[in-house]
Amino acid sequence: MNGSFIRQACQNLTQNPWLNAITLGTIALSFLVLGLFLVIFLNTKGLLEEWGSRIRVTAYLSGTVDLNQAMRLGQKVRGLEEVLEVKYRSKEEALKILEEKMPERKEWLRGLPRNPLPASLEVRLKGEYQNSEGVQSLVKKLQGIPGIEDLQYGSDWLGKFSAFMALLKVLGLSLGGLLLLATIIVISNTIRLNIFARREEIEIMRSVGATGLFIRAPFYMEGVLQGLLGAVLALVMLYAFFLLFLARVYEPLKGLLGNFPVQFLSWEQMAAMGLGGVFLGLFGTQVSVGRYLRL
Amino acid sequence: MIEMIHVSKAYEGNPKALFDITLKVEKGQFVYLFGPNGAGKSTLLKLLYAAERPTEGEVRVNGFDLVRLKARKIPSLRRTLGLVFQDLKLLQRRTAQENIAFALEALGAERGEILKKANQALRLVGLERKAQCLPSELSAGEQQRLAVARAIINDPVLLLADEPTGNLSLTASEETIRLFEKINLRGTTVVLATHNEGLVNLWPKEKIVLEQGKLSEGPLPLPVAHS
Repeated sequence: MNGSFIRQACQNLTQNPWLNAITLGTIALSFLVLGLFLVIFLNTKGLLEEWGSRIRVTAYLSGTVDLNQAMRLGQKVRGLEEVLEVKYRSKEEALKILEEKMPERKEWLRGLPRNPLPASLEVRLKGEYQNSEGVQSLVKKLQGIPGIEDLQYGSDWLGKFSAFMALLKVLGLSLGGLLLLATIIVISNTIRLNIFARREEIEIMRSVGATGLFIRAPFYMEGVLQGLLGAVLALVMLYAFFLLFLARVYEPLKGLLGNFPVQFLSWEQMAAMGLGGVFLGLFGTQVSVGRYLRL
Repeated sequence: MIEMIHVSKAYEGNPKALFDITLKVEKGQFVYLFGPNGAGKSTLLKLLYAAERPTEGEVRVNGFDLVRLKARKIPSLRRTLGLVFQDLKLLQRRTAQENIAFALEALGAERGEILKKANQALRLVGLERKAQCLPSELSAGEQQRLAVARAIINDPVLLLADEPTGNLSLTASEETIRLFEKINLRGTTVVLATHNEGLVNLWPKEKIVLEQGKLSEGPLPLPVAHS
């Protein structure tokens, strides 16, 4: 019986090829746009996390803090909930690093009557705090600790980037919502037209005593096939775009992105898109079957 | 077989489509449902195959209480019926054989059984040589016989036909009536709605006469009789 449902659904799809091609195209386009947003969103999020993991807060110690006090301070800071690791950098190490960074000024730096650089604590944050809010929260706590004179942290860009991500999310969700709605309308309309095209067959089926399930099932199957095919088509196009992006955009700009590996959707995400197609197909069909195929 | 007790059917704009109909048709009878256009024949037939529900009264067909019949049980009722519609409802893009097979497919029959039964039905109505013809390639009488063949494919106990000779010549009408008689002789009860007085007089049977939604003459009580 299931075979006959699928056969009938396939017949419906081929009976009106243009209409079904337009429906399939619309579903595929909707999923393509959604997929694009998803890929961009996931990669941007990944990039942000990657950059976030490099965040350090440098706490410069006042000149009066000796090594013992610095060690105690280090322990205190390590006890803060945001902190993953604390590294003490003495005045001498700081000067050495500066000399390495500015080799042409090495002699000049060595000629200074005293080392002007302060000792510092380099603080790395735990994963969940590697964002603008986490940095701000840690900075507030560090500011209140005696012996810490100044703080350096570069998280302004992080805040802007987080805002951009939020915007991307809202934009993706709104556009996605609209596209999904359009997809449901298109599927439902196609099913309605197919119900209309098959009205005589439906009447005959009713008259001979075919069950409601038998009459409705091919339409649901058709909706499911359209949704699934649309999603699969979108994934294929998305992957083609992704490969094109890798070759034309990513490779030349790889260095700029800090060699961040761009990812395509995972198998789970692709399966979710396919399932989404099935669900949309079912829902779109239900809208029309419920309205136009009352048995 | 069929029992209607004080049945009325009202529509918006037509409060007396059927009014106080009481009748009984016994198993094996061949009955005309006779009356002019608009007398309520189609409405009465629709009540018999549960396409409509009565506004008042009781309707029982083949043991089904149609007033209390749940919608999901309607297919069970229809499987005991054969329906021939006024507009035939033939699928124009399917051959004669496929038209008949479609009815069995809709009931989920096996493929081998479908073909066998379809050919049997075509033989019964004398269309075995036209099995591969499209409806448009058949004459009006042949199309009518095809519609009858489809109606009897599932061996119904009751055959309901709405104006089956409406568009037919006298010869074709006779062929159709003979076909219904043949089916009736196999044990199927036949109710044939018609407005054609000539037909009723030429091939007389029991008749239920409807006028303006009311019963003016009917087989109640009736003996079981064949023509």
